[in-house]
Amino acid sequence: MKLHEKILTHYLSCTSPVDKEGYLYKKERNATYHRRWFVLKANLLFYQERPADRHLLGVIVLEGCAVRRVESDGRFAFSLVFEGPGLKTYRFAAVDVQTQESWVKALLSASHCYLSLLVRDLGRQYEEVKQQQSLGQPHHCSSVGALEETTSGLLPRPMDVVREGRNFSASTVLPAHSATTRAKKSPKLWPRRNALVTPLNKPAPQYSEWPLVGFDPLEDFRKIHDYYGQEVKKAREEWLRSRRAAEEQQDDGALIKLG
Amino acid sequence: MRFNEKELVFLSRQPSEMAAELGMRGPKKGDVVKKRLVKLVVNFLFYFRTDEEEPIGALLLEQCRVEREDSQSFSVAFLDEAERKYLFECDSEEQCGEWIDSIIKASYEFMRKNLIFYRTEIHRLTGKDPLEQYGISDETRFQVSNGLQLTPRDAASL
Repeated sequence: MKLHEKILTHYLSCTSPVDKEGYLYKKERNATYHRRWFVLKANLLFYQERPADRHLLGVIVLEGCAVRRVESDGRFAFSLVFEGPGLKTYRFAAVDVQTQESWVKALLSASHCYLSLLVRDLGRQYEEVKQQQSLGQPHHCSSVGALEETTSGLLPRPMDVVREGRNFSASTVLPAHSATTRAKKSPKLWPRRNALVTPLNKPAPQYSEWPLVGFDPLEDFRKIHDYYGQEVKKAREEWLRSRRAAEEQQDDGALIKLG
Repeated sequence: MRFNEKELVFLSRQPSEMAAELGMRGPKKGDVVKKRLVKLVVNFLFYFRTDEEEPIGALLLEQCRVEREDSQSFSVAFLDEAERKYLFECDSEEQCGEWIDSIIKASYEFMRKNLIFYRTEIHRLTGKDPLEQYGISDETRFQVSNGLQLTPRDAASL
């Protein structure tokens, strides 16, 4: 069977981040272990001799395999066991227990099937939460959201008003200082939050676009995407303008014309 | 480049909702339309000669562009090369639409973005990280920054 390699290598080298990479020992047919540089991206495990190498030695498609920790030779070993008649088992060894654990964890959640189930599950949860929301159920304000405000000096304003309404017209732009007017809005309005996606275990990213959702038919999705893009653009322009104005005032102390 | 061929062939035989006989034409000049059994399994598009057990080939559906060519056919282009376009001819407009939709949604990157969206939204609305119950909150692949791609324009504003 022909595997169109160029498509895989192109995907590997494209801009989306890699899920994990590092040295591991791979057990070869003659039972010796060879150190290889592994790169995990999506459900593909690539390997090469060294990180800088252009030439890839191989790839393992991670579907239909179990990840097992192995107590063997006193090494920090684990294996990928493909379940099916005549299918392979790939054996690996790490240099320490942390590396072993880290790889086992990463590989356990690597398959497309796994991700598919996860997305389905979260999608359902999301719909439920939204339903509860519209029924006016109490909502728990997370303190994490407040934290993000401190790092948000560079960021566009939140788009919460937009989210709760069905209004998709591009002309509804949040004014820069809307804190006071918000109180008059619908009680369903969520407390002000950063437009940025809440980072859960890492510092907030500096800038973001809302991730895409493939829920609705493609037409609506494109509309949503375009709409948010416009909002962000407008908010950013406003912020840039006000920041430039502030800077200029600091520098000259003279009257500055805006725009 | 080596790959786990046997395992991939085994994968291609798994049940799939999207499997049909379509007309398929390769990207090279002079390629003609041939009848193939096309099957979508995870993020791979396998194609078989009708009644053969082993697929002729497997196309990874990442970083590709899927486009409607006319009412009953669609194309999949890889490597940002419009010339590397595979053409697929369906039996109906409806079937064509289903294939386009399915292929787009089968992409791992597409699914990852959705996951990150749901995760962030649920967390924003409930204060809870839905991935905690699965013990995968720390996995790099599910991190918020992972679903975002900075364009040159965006980075310039920082």
